[in-house]
Amino acid sequence: MNPKRCAACRYLRRRCPKDCVFSPYFPPNNPEKFACVHRIYGAGNVSKMLQQLPVQTRAEVVESLCFEATCRIEDPVYGCVGIISLLQTQIQKTENLLARTQAEIAVAQTKHSQNQHSEFM
Amino acid sequence: MRGPGSSPCASCKLLRRRCAKECIFAPYFPPDDPHKFAIVHKVFGASNVSKMLQELPVHQRADAVNSLVFEANARVRDPVYGCVGAISYLQNQVTQLQMQLAVAQTEILCIQMQHEPTLQSHHEVFELDQDDKAHLLHSNNNSINNCNNNYNLAYAMSSGQLNSNFASPSSIIQMQMQDPLKQESLWT
Repeated sequence: MNPKRCAACRYLRRRCPKDCVFSPYFPPNNPEKFACVHRIYGAGNVSKMLQQLPVQTRAEVVESLCFEATCRIEDPVYGCVGIISLLQTQIQKTENLLARTQAEIAVAQTKHSQNQHSEFM
Repeated sequence: MRGPGSSPCASCKLLRRRCAKECIFAPYFPPDDPHKFAIVHKVFGASNVSKMLQELPVHQRADAVNSLVFEANARVRDPVYGCVGAISYLQNQVTQLQMQLAVAQTEILCIQMQHEPTLQSHHEVFELDQDDKAHLLHSNNNSINNCNNNYNLAYAMSSGQLNSNFASPSSIIQMQMQDPLKQESLWT
């Protein structure tokens, strides 16, 4: 067997051809990366996705697939949708706090101008 | 077929197979919404979805299916970044809002600082001589200027004039892959 097989071909126990679609993105020194992606998406689906995209975008695709697969393994129910949900909650809370602070500013400015007005009377 | 007169679920229809009574997909992929299973099958594959559902308790499977459908839709809409694109966008929104909040909180501090010296000097003005009054006014102006400088700095950051560390999809992925514990920083 060719010792320089990529992590995907090693995992799938097959020969790693010269034009292997996986080999630029799944080096042999990181077998967990492909194992993770394969577990969630399957080798066939990943291969299809990569082949449908231009070469210059494939590295980003693989990284985003790894990220989502890792999230799904850590949280089998919500995956990375859990992160999205938490961010949306944080946005709402920060917006509310910002609105409250801006209302306080308006009140403080009104008070200040009223005080100034009464000093000159 | 599942029973006399009942149609196969959307998954068994797409996979062209008999829809068994205990079909794992049937509760979550009704026949009137074929697109739902089609998109999940396209991204994840039927056997992977089946395995994922089998590993979960029954009461969590509906949520799991909904989140898989969400992710699959995101991936079809954005084949390069999928959900990571949405996370990046939301993280940037959080950063923007936090900067605006910092600006607002600085402004309210400035207003409070402006109030207190005014109240103090109003009581002391009858006891001070001209030199003392001049000194007091000068030091008030300095503190207000410093406050305004901080305000301008915070405002500049929020309007993007300064180099702030916005999250790109790549940086989110790198952050996550280097230290899974840092996932918390996305929402703390």
